[in-house]
Amino acid sequence: MTLNQLTETQAGVIKQINDESLAIQLLAMGFILGEEIKVERIAPLGDPILITSGTNYISIRKSDAQQIEIKL
Amino acid sequence: MSSAAKNIVLIGNPNTGKSTLFNALTGLNQKIGNFPGVTVDKKTGSYNYKNNKVNVVDLPGTYSLNPNSVDEQVAKDYVEQSSKDDIVLVVADATNLKRNLLLYTQIIDQGKQVVLVLNMMDLLEKNKQEIDLNKLSQLLNCPVIPINARIEKGVDELKYAINNYAPKSNTFVDKKYSSNVVDETMLRFNKINQIVNECTTKTGENKSYIFTKKLDNILTHKVYGYLIFFALLFFIFQAIFSWASYPMDLIDSAFIFLCDYVSHLLPQGMLNDLIVNGILAGLGGIVIFVPQIAILFAFITILEDTGYMARVSFLMDRILRQFGLNGKSVIPLLSSTACAIPAIMGARTIANYKERLITIMVAPLISCSARIPVYTILIALVVSENEVYGIFNLQGLLVMGLYLLGFATALLSAWVMKLIIKSKEKSTFTLEMPIYRAPRWKNVGFEIISKVKIFLFDAGKVIIAISIILWVLSSYAPSNKFEQIEAKYTTQAEDQTNNDISAVIAAEKLEASYAGIIGKTIEPAIKPLGFDWKIGISLVTSFAAREVFVGTMATLYSVGDEDNTKSIREKMMAATNRETGEKLYTKATTFSLLLFYAFAMQCMATLAIVYRETNSIKWPIIQVVYMGALAYFSSLLVYTVFS
Repeated sequence: MTLNQLTETQAGVIKQINDESLAIQLLAMGFILGEEIKVERIAPLGDPILITSGTNYISIRKSDAQQIEIKL
Repeated sequence: MSSAAKNIVLIGNPNTGKSTLFNALTGLNQKIGNFPGVTVDKKTGSYNYKNNKVNVVDLPGTYSLNPNSVDEQVAKDYVEQSSKDDIVLVVADATNLKRNLLLYTQIIDQGKQVVLVLNMMDLLEKNKQEIDLNKLSQLLNCPVIPINARIEKGVDELKYAINNYAPKSNTFVDKKYSSNVVDETMLRFNKINQIVNECTTKTGENKSYIFTKKLDNILTHKVYGYLIFFALLFFIFQAIFSWASYPMDLIDSAFIFLCDYVSHLLPQGMLNDLIVNGILAGLGGIVIFVPQIAILFAFITILEDTGYMARVSFLMDRILRQFGLNGKSVIPLLSSTACAIPAIMGARTIANYKERLITIMVAPLISCSARIPVYTILIALVVSENEVYGIFNLQGLLVMGLYLLGFATALLSAWVMKLIIKSKEKSTFTLEMPIYRAPRWKNVGFEIISKVKIFLFDAGKVIIAISIILWVLSSYAPSNKFEQIEAKYTTQAEDQTNNDISAVIAAEKLEASYAGIIGKTIEPAIKPLGFDWKIGISLVTSFAAREVFVGTMATLYSVGDEDNTKSIREKMMAATNRETGEKLYTKATTFSLLLFYAFAMQCMATLAIVYRETNSIKWPIIQVVYMGALAYFSSLLVYTVFS
């Protein structure tokens, strides 16, 4: 399952990030493999989305969210 | 104590208060330049501690030494190439220690001398969380200094620690055992986790995050989110156009006074004329925009500082992406309604090169405040003041229409460029949503000062140069044409007052001058648009600044108005076509001219900034050509349709 399939306020655990440069970027922004990730909000037009992990709070486009594999 | 000057480098994640610390350390003793070859602000400054000079460099915010943007690349390169004696201050958000320590460990493994600065200690206390600083310092084998940069708490202790720094040799992880960046980063986080767990105690929740998410429920709401944004926009425009008018009027009167004073102070002649009508007039044309730029940047900095800007970008990203732009393009595009120059400088926050370039290329299509005087006088020629359409004032509707046309054309051009410009760089919108905080007024002040400086000096140089060139072109004529004109009028001087004659002489001189010759030379090219040579001269002089159009028109149409009782509008209304003898400013010609001013790239200062920001002569040239073509053909179309 990938992150873009979650609805607002749904959470999961980050399993793997398929795109390497995205993985490096997200890790540095505090989105660490094995930790919880939550969809806080989906933008009014359906994209991008706001996600959190711990106190890290970022926006990301759905196409990138599709690269993030999670388990519920 | 060493006698040589110390160098320190500030690095840290975005939103950690790094710039606030930089301001607290250096005060006003700072300057902003560019890193070589890239348009990333390089802030340098210095302070004295116990008679030792300490130089400080503030690097752009970065999450790690694995760069994702030009800004991050600059920070990485600078740290890696810094001298081994330089002390690197890693500024970290104490409430988010784990993530912030990643960058710290990467810098330690570069073999750098590091001081870890923990900022936002006040928030940590508010959240009822504690960090055992001694233990952290011990485990990291590195000085750890807690500060609260906002109120400058801990800054003296930091200066003391820098002054008494004892070099250390440290390794965090051994890179030999990590096969790729992701694995290496995970290895670092595992070690960081252990350290953080040993040093921190959490008894309370993170209140600022809870508050931030609640506020986001309103500010990014599908209805209220946009409503609040547009209300705020309306307020900002009110401020830019109405509040700024008071200081602008003052500046205007001050320059009129100054010109008058200087022209009487200096002996009459060419030098006097050059200083008053060339340099001072040019300077006045720049300084008058300072209030608008200051107000605009005050708002932009406040919106950024509070964290709201990230939410606006979030709301607009989906829409702007269709046109090859980015959520972050919102602010530059809106700033353009005041002036394209700060807008183009503001595009630096867009990480993707193609999106940033498109933003820069289309920003000048949006009607700026310099077009307002031109629109006002031209619209008055075809629509009288009290004409209404339904309940709306027709003049106001036309001005609004021109603004909307500017926005629409900018978006359309962006869309075309999206198809043409090739880029392998991936477009993303991975943007941190900072917690909401009150603006730091000192930062706002510093930002206004630095942006106004760039505007005055960078744009100023060009405008002054162009003003002087235009002055030369309109003050000189081939051979002795001017003498002939003067001789012609001295014989008639008896029955007229001096003022009337000098106005007529001035107009005839302008016609005979090099500027007049240029106007007549380009007449065949602009005739299909309904323009004559006088408009041609105005198009040329408008290159200094668009509003010069009004002044040029005033001079040109002094001819034949010996009594000097008519307004510019009346003079232009009375103007006739030389060949047909019919009224020159028909609906067709006026609309054609309005469109030309809406679309043409008639601003040298903007071109200079585009050159500076893109680091290439190619893009300003393309901009002149495409906007010129757009202006020419839309004017041609409108003139043909209406006549």
